[in-house]
Amino acid sequence: MLIDRGYTEVRPLAGGLDAWVDAGYPVEELSE
Amino acid sequence: MLHHLIALILHYGVALVFVNVFAEQIGAPIPAVPTLIIAGALARNGELSSTWVLTSAVIASLLADWIWFVLGRRYGYRILRTLCRISLSPDSCVRETEAYFDRWGMKSLLFAKFIPGFSTVAPPIAGATRASTIQFLIYDAVGAFFWAGSAVAAGRLFHSAIGKLLKRLEDLGWWAVIFVASVIALIVFLKWWQRLQFYKKLRVARVTVDDLKSMLDRGESPIVLDVRTAGSRKRNMQRIPSAIVASGPEEVAAQLERVPPSSPIILYCT
Repeated sequence: MLIDRGYTEVRPLAGGLDAWVDAGYPVEELSE
Repeated sequence: MLHHLIALILHYGVALVFVNVFAEQIGAPIPAVPTLIIAGALARNGELSSTWVLTSAVIASLLADWIWFVLGRRYGYRILRTLCRISLSPDSCVRETEAYFDRWGMKSLLFAKFIPGFSTVAPPIAGATRASTIQFLIYDAVGAFFWAGSAVAAGRLFHSAIGKLLKRLEDLGWWAVIFVASVIALIVFLKWWQRLQFYKKLRVARVTVDDLKSMLDRGESPIVLDVRTAGSRKRNMQRIPSAIVASGPEEVAAQLERVPPSSPIILYCT
């Protein structure tokens, strides 16, 4: 969908949020 | 030769239905619907019992789904990665399938088996949401009954055509066995190929967490989009620092209204 809108540099994050947390990188708390 | 095979199917029909349905529901790329349709046709001709075929299909499905439900409950959403690896169905691994569960909750188990991909991921998602086991078993059993029942009913309805097809296969002897084995092998190969292409595409484009951290540390500031479903975010109220939260296509479009098309964008799910 993003590519259809003209965005050319769209990349998914391998492993998603779980991989980011597993690597011990910082996260922010979401507000309600 | 094939009449020996059909005799075996008639003799072990209910057990074969059980094994086939269990294998499909646990994630093996072996479709169970053709077996259920043939079993339905044989039942219409009085050679098998519809009640036993249905009971065995529902129990096999419930057993396999319950295993995934328990694994989902124990390991959370991580179990979906294992499931995606063995199921050979890339459509199981996209976030849209998860959105069905967020939208319909446990009721989605009533129709999950009719949607390719969703059928496999619904039970572990139900487990990951820590849904009630009794509620899961009830909805899943009713869903399995509708799914297996419709295939058996189709077999009963078209029993005459299926009977003719079986007769023709029987006349072909060993060639029929080779033909059926080739069709199954082709289905497995196509699923494997489809998955290979899907992962190849992903591998080319994916960015690792270490790459993203380095980019952020260097101050490159790519647009980071948190595209998890609302339900996923509710279950894990965290995000990568500075990530923009956007669930549906409209929300994504609205958030990116002022972002130039040349900007690097990194998306993440759970």
